[in-house]
Amino acid sequence: MIYRKLGSTGAQVSAIGIGGHHLGDVTTLDEAIQLVHEAIDAGITFFDNAWEYYNGKTETILGRALRDGRRDKVFLMTKVCTHGRSGKLAMQMLEDSLRRYQTDHLDLWQIHGIVYDNDPELAYAKGGVLEAFDQAKKEGKVRFVGFTGHKDPTFHLKMLELGYPFDTVQMPLNPFDSNFHSFERQVLPEVNRRGMAALGMKSMGGTAWGIKAGVVQAEEMLRYAMSLPVATTICGTDSLHVLHQNLRVVHSFQPMTQSEMEALRARCAPTAADGRFEPYKVSLRYDNPMTRMPHGFPFDDTQREVTEMLDQASGPWLVPETTPVTPGR
Amino acid sequence: MAEQERQNQQGEAIPELDRRSFMQEGMASAGAVIATSALRRQIAVAAVPSQMTNKGADQISRRVLGKTGEQVSIIGLGGYHLGTVHSRDMAVRLVQEAVDAGVTFFDNAWEYNDHRSEEWMGLGLQGRRERVFLMSKVCTHGRDKNVAMQQLEESLKRLGTDHLDLWQIHEVIYENDPELHFAKGGVVEALDQAKKQGKVRFVGFTGHKSPVIHLKMLAHDYPFDTVQMPLNCFDATYRSFEQQVLPELQRRGIAVLGMKSLGGDGQPILYGVVRAEEALRYAMSLPVASTICGIDSLDVLRQNVRIAHGFKPMSPQEMQALRDRCRSSSGDGHLELFKTTKKYDGKVGREQHGYPPPEQLPI
Repeated sequence: MIYRKLGSTGAQVSAIGIGGHHLGDVTTLDEAIQLVHEAIDAGITFFDNAWEYYNGKTETILGRALRDGRRDKVFLMTKVCTHGRSGKLAMQMLEDSLRRYQTDHLDLWQIHGIVYDNDPELAYAKGGVLEAFDQAKKEGKVRFVGFTGHKDPTFHLKMLELGYPFDTVQMPLNPFDSNFHSFERQVLPEVNRRGMAALGMKSMGGTAWGIKAGVVQAEEMLRYAMSLPVATTICGTDSLHVLHQNLRVVHSFQPMTQSEMEALRARCAPTAADGRFEPYKVSLRYDNPMTRMPHGFPFDDTQREVTEMLDQASGPWLVPETTPVTPGR
Repeated sequence: MAEQERQNQQGEAIPELDRRSFMQEGMASAGAVIATSALRRQIAVAAVPSQMTNKGADQISRRVLGKTGEQVSIIGLGGYHLGTVHSRDMAVRLVQEAVDAGVTFFDNAWEYNDHRSEEWMGLGLQGRRERVFLMSKVCTHGRDKNVAMQQLEESLKRLGTDHLDLWQIHEVIYENDPELHFAKGGVVEALDQAKKQGKVRFVGFTGHKSPVIHLKMLAHDYPFDTVQMPLNCFDATYRSFEQQVLPELQRRGIAVLGMKSLGGDGQPILYGVVRAEEALRYAMSLPVASTICGIDSLDVLRQNVRIAHGFKPMSPQEMQALRDRCRSSSGDGHLELFKTTKKYDGKVGREQHGYPPPEQLPI
């Protein structure tokens, strides 16, 4: 496994991470736990998640997989999902996450889904989520903090300009991105200039449609993302097969040369230009309903995540473990 | 407004707005004060009305078209919707009545409705051509200038004229469009050639997708006379043309043509966010030369003419209040589906780019 420095934090993390959302897509709980164990055995330390994924199911799965002495082998992250609501609600969400993880602290806590024009202002508002960051750090419940979002580089830049000392910034990074509302061109240099750690995600374009269309191959996409100046690349891993495939790429990893990267960007440019291979940037259907709801935006009940959210049972093999937080109070 | 009427007949399409009240309280108290003041600072630049020749309470006022020396009516007749009218005779009557009411700005595009839009407008303008400022758009979507010149001849023939007052590059909406249009032998060379031949007087470009792409076009410093773009009270918080492109056009003295004043499909009116009249008045109060309106019936025409008669621009305070009112519901772009979906992207353009049609995309 390759390890890299996490910005200016002094911590090191594995060059690929396990994405939390896809843990909820693994067929059985046993396979999900096995996936986490194998990943740790292979040297992966970075584990992503969010309070709102599958109504908390993915945090609970990860918590189960990490008990029995594995918690201290990983760099554990989750995201807080206030979406503009109060710091007090954020602290309640943190308690939920810690309980599901069966741990007393997170290594990294990030604001989930900075995807709307007013999200930066809401995050920075008095009584907002950033005050919860300060408090959680002071109480020793989180070591480092950051934010995430998949929509538009403008919002990321606004978050940075407003000046909070984030440790990490998570964003979509792939060769389509470099041609369309580009995080790579606009945000990545700024994050590195500030000594923060960049966390890459959506290395396959979120839905892998560019791969299915035959424009690019999975391996070169992952290699491209890993060749950028990032601390880690978070990979949606929903089966042991995918885990093994990603590990193979890491084991033989050599960073792409500048000219290889340029050639790949150029290959992607013509199909990147309408954004369909990065649907999270253009389509309303890739905004999590839990993100839309606090903003008062209507949502589409044919969308998978909406079904998930409305499905209180959360799957036959796992009873929801936590009492829902009363939002907005 | 045509859409508004149509949508109103489909009551079941109204989304459940009750959800909106759910969970909003905490958020409003946390952010509203900072949010509003920050937005106000960003927008103040844009709210300067441009010169208007007020022609009295029963006349449609005109405004100067950038640096061209021309004047055009403050509302324009959109070509796309003309081709969706149920009969040719009705379309002809609509054009004639619009001209007689004092509408001078006529919009169209080579590709609208399999050319029906241009043909019907041509018929309606017989004997009235000299009373209007006639525009059409060229639809190369990346192809070369010969295609453009061929399309120009076809547009002239269908519109029944020997020249266009304005010829614009249609639908600059893909990230690589500016590069394709300015390529050697591309459509921009056709603009030069057509001007030289006297077949078009002025030139510009249009697009409904992203301010970034408009700015890329402007960065080439070509002397465009006009730029057309979506302008409405929902635009300010999502990939905003008003904030990002409008000031740049004013700085360059290029005429601004507004479109999609009702959000493209009238949905915001259906949602109850705004009324049609205030949405149109907002768009017309911006520093634009004309606001192009989708008009597909005499009712809609008469309604818009009524709004235009004796039009007084909204005050900056009224405009700000309207933006503030729209803000909470428009920040994700769902009231401007031309920006957030592919369903407004024309078939010819997608084909030329090698993109699948919107109905094949799950986005």
